[in-house]
Parts: sequence; structure tokens; C-alpha cells
Amino acid sequence: MKGSKAFSTIIGALFAVVGMSTAALADPSTRIGIVAPGPHPYFTQWESAGQQAAKDFNIGVVDYRVPNKWELAAHNALLESMASQNYNAFLIFPGDPVATRPTVADLVGMGAPVISLAGCLQDPSDASFCFATDNTVAAYEAAKLLIKEMGGKGKIVHFAGFLTDPNTKVRIDAIARAVAETNGAVTVVDNITDLDVPEAAQDKINAFLATQGSNIDGIITTAWIPSVVAATALRKIGDKRIKMIGLDNDDLLMAAITDGYVSGTVVENAFAQAYVGSFAVDKLHTGCTLRSDAPWKNANRSAKLMDSGTVYVTAANLDTYHDIQKEKAKELLTSFKSNYLKCP
Amino acid sequence: MAVGPSSRRQPNEEASTALGLTLLIALAFVVFSWAAAGFSSPYNLYALTRTAALNVLLGLAMMVVIATGGLDLSIGAIGIASAMFAGYLMQDFRLHMMIAIVAALCFGGALGFCNGFVVVFARVHSFIVTLASMSIIFGAMIVLTKAESVRDLPPAFLALGKIRWFGYLSPMLMVSVAIGALIAIMLRWTDLGREILASGANSRAATLSGVRVGNRIITVHALSGILAAIAGIMLSIRNGAMVPSMAGNLGQEWLLPAFLAPVLGGTLLSGGRAWVVTTVLAAFLVTELTNGMLLMSIGEFWVQFALGSVLLLAVLLEKGRSTLMGTVEGV
Amino acid sequence: MRQEWLGLAVIAVLGFIIMASLRPAFLTPFNLFVLLSTFALAALIALGQMITLAVGQLNLSLGSIGGLVAVSFAGMMDVWHWSAAPSFVAGLALGALAGALNGILIAQFQLSAFIVTLATLAMFKGLNLALTKAQPFYDIDKIVSTFGNASLIGPIPAVLIPTVIATAVVAYILYRLPAGRQILAVGGNSSASELSGISIKRAIVTAHVMSGVLAGLAGMVAVARLQLGQPTIGEDWLISSFAAPVIGGVALTGGHVSIVGTLLAVVIVALITQGLVLFTIDPFYVQLVLGGLILLAVGLNSLRSLLPVGYSLP
Repeated sequence: MKGSKAFSTIIGALFAVVGMSTAALADPSTRIGIVAPGPHPYFTQWESAGQQAAKDFNIGVVDYRVPNKWELAAHNALLESMASQNYNAFLIFPGDPVATRPTVADLVGMGAPVISLAGCLQDPSDASFCFATDNTVAAYEAAKLLIKEMGGKGKIVHFAGFLTDPNTKVRIDAIARAVAETNGAVTVVDNITDLDVPEAAQDKINAFLATQGSNIDGIITTAWIPSVVAATALRKIGDKRIKMIGLDNDDLLMAAITDGYVSGTVVENAFAQAYVGSFAVDKLHTGCTLRSDAPWKNANRSAKLMDSGTVYVTAANLDTYHDIQKEKAKELLTSFKSNYLKCP
Repeated sequence: MAVGPSSRRQPNEEASTALGLTLLIALAFVVFSWAAAGFSSPYNLYALTRTAALNVLLGLAMMVVIATGGLDLSIGAIGIASAMFAGYLMQDFRLHMMIAIVAALCFGGALGFCNGFVVVFARVHSFIVTLASMSIIFGAMIVLTKAESVRDLPPAFLALGKIRWFGYLSPMLMVSVAIGALIAIMLRWTDLGREILASGANSRAATLSGVRVGNRIITVHALSGILAAIAGIMLSIRNGAMVPSMAGNLGQEWLLPAFLAPVLGGTLLSGGRAWVVTTVLAAFLVTELTNGMLLMSIGEFWVQFALGSVLLLAVLLEKGRSTLMGTVEGV
Repeated sequence: MRQEWLGLAVIAVLGFIIMASLRPAFLTPFNLFVLLSTFALAALIALGQMITLAVGQLNLSLGSIGGLVAVSFAGMMDVWHWSAAPSFVAGLALGALAGALNGILIAQFQLSAFIVTLATLAMFKGLNLALTKAQPFYDIDKIVSTFGNASLIGPIPAVLIPTVIATAVVAYILYRLPAGRQILAVGGNSSASELSGISIKRAIVTAHVMSGVLAGLAGMVAVARLQLGQPTIGEDWLISSFAAPVIGGVALTGGHVSIVGTLLAVVIVALITQGLVLFTIDPFYVQLVLGGLILLAVGLNSLRSLLPVGYSLP
């Protein structure tokens, strides 16, 4: 077939050109790629944090990249493309806890250390470790706070993110655990997932509140966008009876807290994740290793989790939580250096 | 009518299209090697061949349906549903990998068969039937799987995804090309193939010469379903998991590459003409373009625009060529 | 033909009554508001596709045009600091332009509507991504976001206004203006209409321009409801854009449309979607149901009319 003739000519040209790229891989200066799974306001916080890290730690390149849609194929294509462009260290939020593993294996196989950020790959994986919010704790605590706000009894609805987001299932289970401890006083009416896009969130959350609003006493949201949509909906119906705990720090959500529609929100430390993460992966690339006796947590489906922590924000500490986050980032950095890292 | 002077002209048209595509592939390779850092690195070529394998299958799946003058919008849905089926067989029933894969192919074929059946017996255009079935199949799959991925696969299956030849070639591409060869043989040398092409070229004349057009339409839809299932399995091997959203919502993400390859490869939308070699080359070219553009810093967001423009250009050129040559085949 | 939509009307009313009696929450002002808001947007999308079906074609790029206009609309306000009114007009113009591109390519070069609109779908989506880098435009004119969530009177949302106006305009064009009647004529029998002196090309272009404008309008309404210029607007309009017209009795071969039927079909689909939430049935059933309805509707349609053997879409 004519196709095979084309192939052999290509192969010939190939061998001539291959040397070009392999030589470049030996470049000693670190080029970090921070890769989000898709367009989403949470991950954009990593960009500035990465830039800060580049400056403070004297790292050659720290680039934040995001595929043009939150989709596994696009995410993998972006990672493959970055690998070919000689990025030699990666901070990655998994597009899927299992389906991203082969791509990570490819990257690590090419000599680039990978830390999974804000979400863990399912063990066993080739990532050095997972640096994320321990959701078995965070979501659990958030649920307990909500239960307390509700007075210890009632019905909760859980608005969650994508099912392919490694954190979603962990959060659902953690909330179920907290609710189980009430011995039936509190029940979860529903876990509605895949709400981390504006249109789906608008339609489903509004429809739910419109039809079941009188039936529930509490809302817990564990994703950015449903937090905003639910807060806005509560404001629109003028409801202060339903207690709500949200996730992350969108401006609209914070305004709703100030005005009393939402009790509080769990803010993850995106800054620490990208800032300390950049430091960590840079060190791993330049010859350091991880200590075998490091105090890893076994949670979020990973045996090597370092908790990036959360801050529970209410109307009381609305103005100061940013500083608290920066403080915690510094603490994490110190802790990482002394307890986790081993440099020659 | 297809038989006669135009079929004698066909091998030359096919050869010239194939030559043109090959030249474009080579040209693109040179340009991207120079303009896009890392394009010719072994890893990138490996990733490229892996994606090309998928696009070739999608192109072939659409091509066989277009050959009878129809369309199949549901290949994404069928492909993913079949892959999920195989996944569940391996995960929940612990069936052997080969059994699960064969079962998935039968499943895909059966779904395709249903498409064809409705098209023929309800006498509805395949566009609307496959639009509806796309939604039904994907919807049913999501309901049954609760949108959860299959992640617990046997190690043998996972190992398939790690095979890499010479450091830059994915064996999956060879599988796709081999399948293409089989289809080419079928179309050129078997009665089945001739009947398929005749049904597309002029269904009335074909019926008069004794071809059971309805059966052929059902055949191509079933075949398309099987090819889609293979594509779904291939993607699952690459991912090491079966993720319901891996071809986008409703499987939509597969539509553009599935149409680009046959159209660029000279397949006529009105049916009756389908060339495997050019479709395969076109699929490879499209993959190359996407891959190269992604590597270039401005490329990432313009890829969609470029692909759409290429499709448009291809049909315009084909229209221009057929008008110039005086053939009355519609695009 | 008038009786066609009677059946749909009965179904719609029945559905309404059943839902209201089983779940009193259905009749709360907020729920009706949500229902009508959903209807307002869905109706525009359905009308956009209905027009191209009328001329015997289809428009796969409907969602992409909607998305492109949506982000351009938001972008003009966010980046160029235009106020709502000029942005709105510019948005409509952009929709018209996009539709014109489709129509001219199809009519002038006699290309398949399927392939052309598939290609432009990708091109418009690409432009959308290039403009937005996949990030939404947040800073839109306050008037727009207020409009998106405001109620006119009680449960009647403000976003229903564009839909009502659009429906009236479309009806007027189709049934009163020669341009509209020509669209239907060309859709019904293009060779016969050509013989009577109707310009097929002009009818096709007109239909696609109208489709583009409606798509653009829908995109901007979506921006108003979401309160931001989200690049993913329009991505899942494909199935619903066909479902409503098909269920509403629009002939896929063209020449015959039913505006009332289409709108009733939109209502029915909205009721079904809401119903799933109401009865806490898995919301993933929506796509399954939509696809089944399309098949059912098309099956019934083909029983009614006689289709020639082996006809193909232009």
C-alpha cells in the first residue's frame, strides 16, 4: 500500500532528528509544569502561587497550563505535549484517579518527578506523593459543622463535583460517615454530582430547591461552582432557614456569608499547594529524595498523602483568612523540609 | 451509474489523493519538526501513533456507513458503551480479557445492528435515527453505570497499554491499519463489499440488479458498531480504565475526527465511493496536525478552528474538482 | 394540520396537572419561575433549529454560534467596557453573520448542510476558545445579570420577553412575509419552487441567518441567566435543538413547521426534566428519555406522511 512507503520515508527522517530532542532532556535547570484538569476558577489560583515560588526558590520555569475543556482526552494530550516540550517536573491534578496513571507513568519514565496536587491518583501510581486536602477529614468536619448548625437533626442535600474528580467519592463517603454518627437524627437526601459547571449547576440546583426546598434543612457543597450557585439561589429565595456550608472562596459565596445566607465555607489552601508543591518537585528533580520515615497520611485513596489543610471561614474571620493561608503555607514548607525531604 | 467509465477512473483518483495526502503528511512533519519543539521526539511520536490508531478506526467506522449514503452519529456512544460493558465483565464478573473484548465487539455490533434496523424498517434517515440512538445509548449507559468508571482491571489488560515498539511506535496503529486492510479487501474483492458500494451509489439500480439494499445498510451499521467498540477498547487500554466521559458528553468528541478522515480521504457523502488507504492517511494527517499545533505555543486554542477549516476546505476542493471533471456526484 | 399540536397540548396540560397534584411544591412561584426560565432558553434554541428544518436542512453549529455570541457579548462588556445595549446588538449581528456564512457556503457551493455546519461548528468553537482561552468573562453589565434573574410579575421571568418577541417575529416572517413563505416553499419542494421563480439560494441564506440570530439570542439569554460569559454555553444544545421540533411535528424533509407544536414540545421536555428532579429519579435518565422521544416522534411522523424510498438530506 502506498501508505507504507510514506511510513518508511518518515522513519528515515526520524532517526536523523531524534538526537535533537534526547539531548535536550539532560538540561539541569528545572522546568515545572503545573497542570489543571480543566478550566475552573480554583486552579487559576495556582498560577500566581507558582510564579511566587519561582521567584522565592529561584526555579527556572514554572508554567501553569490548562486544557481547553475539563476532559480526560484533552488533559492527557496536554500532558503528552508538555512532556515532549521538556518540562521535567510536574504538579498535576488527575483528570481521573486511574486513567491518568499511564500518562504519569510515561512522565516519570522520562525522568520527570510528578506530584499529584489537590487530588490523588489511586494507588499504586508513579507519583512521588499526593499533596492535597485530606478530604476524609475536611468533608467530615464540614458535615459535622453543618449538623451542628442545623441543631443536630434534619435532612441534608450534598451538591458535589465531577465523578471523575478523585475527591468526589472521598467526600461523599466522609459526609456519610459524619451523618452515620447521628444515629438517624440526620439523613442525606441525595448526593447530586457533576455540578462543577455553571449550566448544570444552575439547572439542577434550582430545580432541586424549587421542588424539594421545603423538604431539606441543610446544604453542603463540596465544589466551587455549586457553592456559588446554591448561595445565589438561597439569596434569591431569601431563605435563611436552610443552613449551608460551602467550599472554597468565590467572591459571591463570601458575600453570601457576610449577609447571612451561608453559615461558612471550607477554604482549601490552593496557594500552599502550588507554592510548596513547586519547591518540593524542584528539589525532587535536582537530586533530593523522600524520607522513608516521613509522616504520610493514608487517605484519599493514597498511602502517601501530605495534607495541605483547610481554613474554616465564617463571617468572623472573612478578612483574615488569606493571611492564615500564607502562614500555613510557611508552616508546611518548614515541615516538608524537616520531615519529608532528604537532600544529599 | 457507478459501474463503467467512472470506476475505471477511480483507481487514478484514489492514487492521486493518496499521493497528495502522503506529501502533506511529510510536509507537515518537516514543518512541525522545525517549528514545534519536541515534535520529533520518540515520546511524542509514540503518543501521536497512539492517537492516530484511534482516529483511523473512527474514520473507518464512519466511512463504511457513508459508503451507503448514510451517517452514524452514535459511534461515540456505542464505542464507550461497549468499552464499559467489557470493563464490567472484567471487573465484576472476573471474565478473561479476551472474552470481555469479544463480548464488547458483539455488543457494539448489536447496537449498530439496531441502528440499521430502524433506518431500514422505519424508513427514517440515519441522521435522525443515530441522533436519537446516540442519546438513548449514552443515557442508558450512564444510568446503568451511575456514571462511575471501571477502574479495577486485570493486570494483563493494563500491560497492553505499555507496549511500545522501537521507542516511537504504538502497536495500536498497526492494529488499526490491519483492520483497514481487511476492510479494503472486503470492499474491493468480495460481493458484500461491491453490494455495499452499489447500494450507496444508486440504491434503486442496485435493487433492480438483485442487491438487498436494506440488508447492506444494516450490515454497515453493524460493522460501524463493531469498529466503534474496538476504538472504545483501545482508548480504555490507553487509559487503563473505562471512563464514561472519555469521548465527551454523548460521545460527541469523536464526531469531528470521524468525519474528517473519510471526507478528506475522498469518500463521497452521497455514497458509493469509499477508499480505505486515503481515509487512513487522512486520519493520520489530522492527528499529526492536532498534535503539532498543540505543541506550538499558540496552537492549543486554534486547533478546533483549524480542523473545521480543513473540513470545509476539503469539501470545497472536492466540489471544485468534481465540477471541473464534469462528474455529477454530489458532496 | 391544526390538530397536530392538539395532542401535544393535551399531553402538556395533563403533565402539568399530574405533577401539580403529586407534588404541591410544583406550583410554588419559585418553581414556576425556574420552569419558565428553562423554557425561555430552550424555546429559542428549538426555534433556531426549526427554521433550518423548515427549508429542508439542518444546523449543527447552532450551539457553537450560541457560545461564540455569548462570549463575545460578555467579552465586549468585560474587556471593552461597552454597555449592555450595543453589546446586545453586536451579538445579534454576529449571530446573523455566522448564519450567513453557513447559508452562503451551502447555497452558493451546493454543499451538504451537514458537513458545512459540522465544519463551522468546529470553527466557531475554535474562535470561542481563542477569544476566551477557556476562561469565562465575569465582568458583565449589571443590567444583564439582573435581567437574567428578575421576575416580571410573580413567577414570570424577565427572560421570557426575548422568547415571546422572537416567536412573534418568526411567526410573522414565516406566515406573512414572502421571504418566509419562500423558505417553506423551498423546503417543501425545491424544484417546484424554483420553477415558480423563487430563489432557492436566497431562501436558504435567509433561513440560516434567522437560525444564527436565534442562536445568538439564546446565547445571550444564557449569559444573563448564568451571570457570566461561560465558554461552554451551547455545548449540549445539539439533542434538545432537534428533539423539540421533531416531537413538535416539524417535517425533517422541510416545508412544514409548527411553531405552536415546537413550543409545546419544549414545554413537555421541560416538564419531563423537572419531573425527574421532582420525583428524585436519577437525572441521568434525561438523555435516555429525550432520545426515546425523538425516535417515537419520528416513527409516528413517518407513519403519517409518505417518505420516498432512499431519500437523502440535501
